Amino acid sequence: MANVTFDNITFRYGNNTVLEHFSLDVESGTIVCLVGPSGCGKTTLVRALLGLIKPETGSITVGDRVLFDAKKRINVPAEKRNIGIVFQDYAVWPHMTVLENVSYPLKKQRRPKEEIRQRAMHALEQVHMTEYANHLPNQLSGGQQQRVAIARALVVDSDVLVMDEPITNLDAKLREEMLLEIRMIQKRLNATILYITHDQQSALQLCDKMAIMQQNGTLCQYGSDEEIILHPANRFTFEFIGVSNFIPVVKEPNGMMLDCGDRIPYAGEVPAEAAQGGYELGVRPNDIVFDNTSPLKARVDSRVFLGSEYNYFLSVGQKQIRVQQSMLDARTKGIANEGETVGIRFLNARFYPARKGAETA
Amino acid sequence: MKKYYGSVSADLAAVDGRKRLNMDKIMTVLCFVLLMIIVVIPIVMIIYNAFFNEGKLEVEMFVQQVTEKKNLDAMKNTLVIALLTTILGTIMGVFYAWLLGRSDIPAKGLMRALFNIPYMFPPFLGAMAWDMMFNGRSGYINKWLVQLFGLKSMPININSVWGIVFVEVSYYFPFVFMQVVSALERMDPTLEESARISGARQRQVIWKITLPLVKPAISAGALLILTTSLAHFGVPAILGYAKRIYTLPTRIYAVIYNSGGSFDGIRQGAALSVMLVVVVSAALILQNRILAAGSYDIIKGKSMRPTLIKLRGAKLPLFLLAILTLVLIVIVPLVMIVLISFLKAYGLPLELKNFTLDQYKAVFSMGGTIDSIRNSLFVSITAGIICMFLGTLVAYVVQKIKPKGKGALEVISMLPYAIPGTVLSIGVILAWSGRIAGINLYNTIWIILVAYLARYLSFSMKTSSAALLQVHSSLEEASRVCGASHTESLADITLPLIRPAMVSGFFLIFLPAMREVTTSILLYGPHTRTLGVQIYTLRDAGMIPQAAALATVAIGIIIILNTIVTKLTRDRKGV
Amino acid sequence: MADQIVLNHVTKRFTTKTLGDIVAVDDFNLNDHEGECFSFLGPSGCGKSTTLRMIAGFEDLTEGEIELCGRLVSSRKKNLYVQPEDRGLGMVFQAFAVWPHMNVFENVAFPLRIQKVNKTDIVKRVNEALHHTSLTGLENVFPGDLSGGQQQRIALARAIVTNPKVMLLDEPLSNLDPKLRETMRFEIKALQRKFNFTIIFVTHDQSEAMAISDRMMVCDMGKIMQIDTPENLYNKPCNRFVHNFLGESTFINVVIRDGKAYPKGHTEQALDLPVPVNASAEMVVATRPNEIALTGPGEGGFATHIEKRIFLTDRTEYLVPVGEQLLKVQTPHRVTFAEGEACAVHLVEPMWYPADDAAAEKERARRQLV
Repeated sequence: MANVTFDNITFRYGNNTVLEHFSLDVESGTIVCLVGPSGCGKTTLVRALLGLIKPETGSITVGDRVLFDAKKRINVPAEKRNIGIVFQDYAVWPHMTVLENVSYPLKKQRRPKEEIRQRAMHALEQVHMTEYANHLPNQLSGGQQQRVAIARALVVDSDVLVMDEPITNLDAKLREEMLLEIRMIQKRLNATILYITHDQQSALQLCDKMAIMQQNGTLCQYGSDEEIILHPANRFTFEFIGVSNFIPVVKEPNGMMLDCGDRIPYAGEVPAEAAQGGYELGVRPNDIVFDNTSPLKARVDSRVFLGSEYNYFLSVGQKQIRVQQSMLDARTKGIANEGETVGIRFLNARFYPARKGAETA
Repeated sequence: MKKYYGSVSADLAAVDGRKRLNMDKIMTVLCFVLLMIIVVIPIVMIIYNAFFNEGKLEVEMFVQQVTEKKNLDAMKNTLVIALLTTILGTIMGVFYAWLLGRSDIPAKGLMRALFNIPYMFPPFLGAMAWDMMFNGRSGYINKWLVQLFGLKSMPININSVWGIVFVEVSYYFPFVFMQVVSALERMDPTLEESARISGARQRQVIWKITLPLVKPAISAGALLILTTSLAHFGVPAILGYAKRIYTLPTRIYAVIYNSGGSFDGIRQGAALSVMLVVVVSAALILQNRILAAGSYDIIKGKSMRPTLIKLRGAKLPLFLLAILTLVLIVIVPLVMIVLISFLKAYGLPLELKNFTLDQYKAVFSMGGTIDSIRNSLFVSITAGIICMFLGTLVAYVVQKIKPKGKGALEVISMLPYAIPGTVLSIGVILAWSGRIAGINLYNTIWIILVAYLARYLSFSMKTSSAALLQVHSSLEEASRVCGASHTESLADITLPLIRPAMVSGFFLIFLPAMREVTTSILLYGPHTRTLGVQIYTLRDAGMIPQAAALATVAIGIIIILNTIVTKLTRDRKGV
Repeated sequence: MADQIVLNHVTKRFTTKTLGDIVAVDDFNLNDHEGECFSFLGPSGCGKSTTLRMIAGFEDLTEGEIELCGRLVSSRKKNLYVQPEDRGLGMVFQAFAVWPHMNVFENVAFPLRIQKVNKTDIVKRVNEALHHTSLTGLENVFPGDLSGGQQQRIALARAIVTNPKVMLLDEPLSNLDPKLRETMRFEIKALQRKFNFTIIFVTHDQSEAMAISDRMMVCDMGKIMQIDTPENLYNKPCNRFVHNFLGESTFINVVIRDGKAYPKGHTEQALDLPVPVNASAEMVVATRPNEIALTGPGEGGFATHIEKRIFLTDRTEYLVPVGEQLLKVQTPHRVTFAEGEACAVHLVEPMWYPADDAAAEKERARRQLV
């Protein structure tokens, strides 16, 4: 397995720029999840890597092999790139049996028959599908078809394995199982996997590193899951990765104020640049805790029991914020009732420049 | 880590790219050339000859033809028959579709299969059978009724506009029936349930919800009846000639036949053809408008079995009515043809002592019969195979290569669909009887083949097109990434995936071509009769029992072929 | 409060070709109060949809009686079966079931036109219904041009326009995306407060059911498991199935010895819990990953260590060995432990169930095939 380097990739459809000066380095033997909202260009990037489209600028290197270089006019055709791919809709060929599907890439390499069979069976073993070798894909469940697609991608010892939303079409329980399985296969083979998804939850469960892409096709942040969750680089990452509340902060002579229609004093720490004005405080609903000793008061508008948590809407001045209280807190510290006024505290408050003209809900 | 390829030089990649471009280009050019020869030239020839004579514009002949009373009458008959057939066929189709799709009537599966039978048989055989029973002068049942009730004249005359309409309805109502049944089956049952919850009675639900929702299916089927009936030759030819009731297709045939195939006669036919094409095109434009306007999505949600409506007291009468209809339109004509085929001579009473197998011997000892079966098999299979590949080629160019003239390509290949078989024959005669590049195919089997290619190409192109759309691009991309070149992916993935559609495209052409009469009746020569033509001419020559004998054989062949096809399509696994 | 919907010994049996008789609904008894929002919750094949369809009148029952607003509508004994259109219900379906050939106004007006309400009243009542479902201004639009959420609003408007006492909602939110689901849930509750109808809400999504219901029924394999308020159901599930179905669960198999509960395969350390008096020799302790407190080793609880740490978006998950078993614990990101670090787990008021029942699992597998 090898590392993958995208350098300065730009791609346009007509006047629509999908990727602009995009660079990313995927280390060998890791799973990197490329996460972003739909339309951010992640699928375009994959298609460029596979050689199904041709970027305008930049280069793509896998290991020491240049697959594409706009300047040097190198463009290795798709069938010669040696990249394994698992598509969202599996793309398992319905007219071939499972074994034929998995053997196909080897057949195209004109390998000897016995070797093809051995290696195809070995690949099926890795995804626990040997007993289905002679089934046709329409006799398999979605999850099983997906495993066939993975086996097909594994069989040729590709330099890198690309998975494009491979579990989106499966139900929740199966998704969980497949994620574990992908992880196990990766460990066993020490494979390099580029995993594309819009679902940050599954990305977090799976990845060694995560690359977050923004709507305009640029890379927002690249790092381990923890780095990204605990230290989101910017507001986009913070909002994309979870539910959030935003309250504008303003500086007044007698200290920092929260601007909630009424101005309410804020006692917490505020970094220097945020104190200059034009900033907002961002806080996750589960980082807000009830604490009646806190000077910051809020009224409980509604409380909904959701099973694993209580979901509250609180009014701070004119502004409504959302609070999640875990069952552990609810059991040990009690719940707040509708209409009550409670003290609240923000843990892990962050400060970001206010988005111009945008509603900060 | 192993590497099987090593570094591939950039040049190799570029070479592959150029090669592929060339293959795509060759396919595109081939498409255009073939369609030009098969479709465009005959059509251009008709228009040219309708208005030009020996290179000079000459509209007098055209004006004279379209204003002649006989031709105007034929036009009127064509329209009246087509409209009546459409209205009655639609009502009948919808009624039975609802009965089988929504009520708790028994023996559904069997009845559904039986209701599709008329679709299989050539209507002109039905017309022959009904003529035997209710001919205004000599119909068997007519004579029997006269005897039984002591009537002075024949009670029913099938040789009338109404008679033609009746026979056409009985063969064309399945167009509406099949469309509507499948729409009803795929319809989300909660659409009807929510109307019940809103307080509507069962009857109100049918009128206000169910029928309006399947309206697009109804109009699609109705317009198919309309266009088919407008262009139809067999039934009016068999039932109408005796009473001099002409429609445009039969009139065109008569004009050419009476002129003994002279060039003037063919030119007159071309002029009438223009008239017919105008009428059919108007109907097709109407069809496109209506279908584009009303198509809703009525198939979503979880699949549930629809609640069937209990017919209660009406169950038995409605069941009997359905059975009776089936007997009348399917069984009676078949029995009649078979019975007549055993008669020593037409007109003898249907009694055992008059029965013989001599007619079969006579038919098969006659020179043309075996030839006609061989001819039909040859042209049908050849046309089927050529169209299967050519249609797939056009479909591939249109769907996947998408060259600049893609729209034109699509229109050209679909054009013959709008052109009645009779008209197409005239175009083919005009084009391939020595006037272009000295190619003279007249009186050979090849001219029939060329006409069949033009007529049936759109069938295979449609099925292949639909199948190609189903082949998601990721399937091909996956094979590229697995190391297959463009050509290899085409051979290993795309073609195998659309093979079933290609095969069904073949049968879609082969089966109707086997029983075809409209096109070949104008194109046959002394040694190139088709099965349909042979039956038609035997009957025309008054050899009715022999015609019936050959018809029985033809029906046998059709049933065998259909059974084989159903078996083949059912056994195909996967995909 | 009067009972609006009463089910007495309602039973429905199907005969299938491959699997023989299936009791889809087995002896259901329930009473729904006026103005209550009552949910049927269960996995597919549990009988919830069949029950709803029997209440609506699309299915007849095999045994028992159904009463709506004090009126008997289905009864096997009296051979009584009222047609769905005569039951005076409102109903919203999963696939919206708005009629694509009618515009928004006509869709909503349909029930009134059937009732032959006069024209001015129709306009008035339809406009009112459209107003309450935020559809004003879309009267002349056809459903095909609207989003899923808007189509479901049309279905709601159509259901409330006749002012029914009972509203049946058959997975009405399942075809909507998660964000919209929440807004629609609020809207349904608001409509209920305004028109005071009784809701039967069928769903397989437990958090949706808990958010919307006053009481709910959990059923499985054609049998009612438990009927209670969402909080009571979640906190005091009557058996292991209900516990697992209502939210992420984590179970510890324990062996009871000398009045103490030892995790299976671990004899030295007992769980720091009082054992219920009627406990048998082997039990299952059930709790939920986010109700377990995780502390340093010195603070009581069951001493162990962190086997694995998984980072999730809104919480951290730890796998903690307890005997031979791995216990799943979820904490906010603020509680941090490293892999291998010593720690202690504290179970807060867990539930105790008898050890596994293999027969029930087999029956469930059989039903999945139907």
